[in-house]
Amino acid sequence: MSNDLSNQPDILTAAERAQIDSSTSGAALLFFGSSAFWLVFASLFDVIGAIQLSYPCFLDGISFLTYGRVVQTATTVMAYGFATPAAIGIAVWLTARLCKVPLSHHRMLVSAGIVWNLGILVGACSILAGNSTSFALLSFPAFATPILFVSYALIAIWVLFTFNERKSGGLFVSAWFVFAAVLAFPWLFGTANALLVWNPVSAPAQPAIALWFSSGFFNLWLVPVGLAAAFYIIPKSTGLPVASSNLSLLGFWTLLLFGAWTGGAQIIGGPVPAWITSAGVAASIMMIVPALALGLNFHLTLDGHYAPVAWSPALRFIVTGIGCLVTYWILVAINSIPGVNAMTQFSDINRALYYLGHFGFFAMTAFGAIYYIVPRLTGHEWPCAKFISLHYWLAVTGFGFIVSGLILGGLIQGSALSQTIITFRSSVEFAWPFRVFAMLGSLLILASAVNFALLLIGILLETHKNQAPAFMAEREENSQEPVAV
Amino acid sequence: MNKLPNIFVGIFVIFGSAWLGLVNYPLKNLGNLQPVPDEATGGVLPPTVSGLAVAGHKVYAANGCVECHSQQVRFAPLTTDIDKELGKRQTVARDYLREKTAFPGILRVGQDLSNYGARAGEDINAIHRHLYEPRSVNPWSNMPSYCFLYNVVKIQGQPSNEAVTGLTGPCAPKPGYEVVPTEKAKALVAYLLSLNQSYPLPESPVATAK
Ligand code: HEC
Repeated sequence: MSNDLSNQPDILTAAERAQIDSSTSGAALLFFGSSAFWLVFASLFDVIGAIQLSYPCFLDGISFLTYGRVVQTATTVMAYGFATPAAIGIAVWLTARLCKVPLSHHRMLVSAGIVWNLGILVGACSILAGNSTSFALLSFPAFATPILFVSYALIAIWVLFTFNERKSGGLFVSAWFVFAAVLAFPWLFGTANALLVWNPVSAPAQPAIALWFSSGFFNLWLVPVGLAAAFYIIPKSTGLPVASSNLSLLGFWTLLLFGAWTGGAQIIGGPVPAWITSAGVAASIMMIVPALALGLNFHLTLDGHYAPVAWSPALRFIVTGIGCLVTYWILVAINSIPGVNAMTQFSDINRALYYLGHFGFFAMTAFGAIYYIVPRLTGHEWPCAKFISLHYWLAVTGFGFIVSGLILGGLIQGSALSQTIITFRSSVEFAWPFRVFAMLGSLLILASAVNFALLLIGILLETHKNQAPAFMAEREENSQEPVAV
Repeated sequence: MNKLPNIFVGIFVIFGSAWLGLVNYPLKNLGNLQPVPDEATGGVLPPTVSGLAVAGHKVYAANGCVECHSQQVRFAPLTTDIDKELGKRQTVARDYLREKTAFPGILRVGQDLSNYGARAGEDINAIHRHLYEPRSVNPWSNMPSYCFLYNVVKIQGQPSNEAVTGLTGPCAPKPGYEVVPTEKAKALVAYLLSLNQSYPLPESPVATAK
């Protein structure tokens, strides 16, 4: 293959694939396993916080379970305990596959994984003990984050090393996304920790930097990894090439170009230079371009071949995730129009968007990728397809409840907050029923997280090895759709 | 063909430009902001805050108050913040000079606190009572109780003159006991009272004629 951006993931033989997969298996399973553990942990704290918001007497008056610490633990552990290790696991596996080389320096990755988890443990305990920095997605105190940074450095070095070793051939689009993400994360995390946590700069400069980080963490780290998985797994499990390499290219470059600038839109009218908010608004609206380019590309790839979405767990989760991402970017664009934002800025809509992006897109896509990858690492299939289906429905109804509840409630709360004749008290009371609804969603998400963790334990400990692929529905007879292994 | 270096350069340029704009620019411009002299008093604006308030800022961070309270008044007429009397003028970057960390906040589950010190009045006991048990002041409140910042102690001889008075209902101390604020609670209240942007700044004058 001579072109640089190929439309087919790879042309490895089954034996080569198996060799590469078994070389990554230890490290990838460590990252996936620990991410499942922290997912349950974070979801539990998310539930506690959601209950406290509507029923403030719940576990009230206990210092380490006070609402502020609980929600910061939930979001930070979700980001660094679940999302980041899941992303690293996916990136490591994809890198080996895309570069067509078995994993070397296995020990280095495993040690990095262990160190990382120690860092999360230290960080989570210190937030609960009252050492939070209170920066969004940067709440871990100054003594916990260097641990994460060292661990990440080992991983990034490995990934770049492997890219260097790769067998020649066209670079598949997933490789671009992994490459960008692996470079973005240390840049974001290092800068933000150095300037805000380790040795904080003067406070007036902080808000802009904090927003650059939190929007970059999603748009430049989690999104590219999730998309890399989608670009790899969709063609692999349908046997169809990616529809258009031009759309892939457009999506890739516009995502990076605009995604890095969106932060300012979250502080319109606030204490940062006006041009920063204007740039943020423009970039957030321009995010419609990657949303449409990527969404359309996936749609054209699957057009007429959507049937496997019914039975393939990987496809079902990933397609749902992509749908959420497109919706997320469109809502972010609408929400950043200054007239709309004046009303919605401090409302629950912010939380709805957080869940839609971090859970609806990233977690769902990561689940799909894990459902695809893990059987290839263990050499046997998921124990029970019914449980996968249950996981899917619990997760979808869970974040469906949260997102719909908080958007509706947020609209009402936001308009109450912005109208001069309405008292503050009313904004609390209007939001209440919607927060209860969202709380039910959080409970469902906790159930789905437990379900997912049990499945992962199941496939790792399975004695009676299941060789038949776990399909969530009957495959149609004489279906044309191939099933990838 | 190997185009990885080209992708690398592209990524580097794109990330670098956003970094220059959103990290380096604020660092160089906002990071060097200084207080302005206050002609009326000979002091500076924003006024310097007490050591106790600085300690209270840490308590505010440690307990995640920022998850529910913002500290920014947005400009009129785009928003109604000033009409809603959250403050007399827009909050600007220089206002954060008093703090070690800026907490602009992203949610208003509770009120904006940028000017809490201006509206709180003199009654420190009332603020302690609210922090100790918000629902004893506003039954509809969903603010958590910060009673762990207080000690419930047996009254020995004379009641302490720092004790929180007027606590009623289930949170009231048993007869013979009193609720005494810890250093942290006192610092937090000092911090809350220091939140006051009624002074004018050149880039954000106080609007007259309302
Ligand atoms: C769960 C969200 C929540 C958290 C966390 C929270 N608050 Fe509140 N706060 C509220 C709500 C709601 C109100 C309005 C009802 C009331 O007065 O209790 C309020 C009111 C206040 C008020 C009175 C504001 C006014 O204008 O009268 C102060 C002061 C205050 N909070 C300080 C704090 C401090 C300090 C912390 C952290 C130690 C904190 N709050 C944490 C929700 C919260």
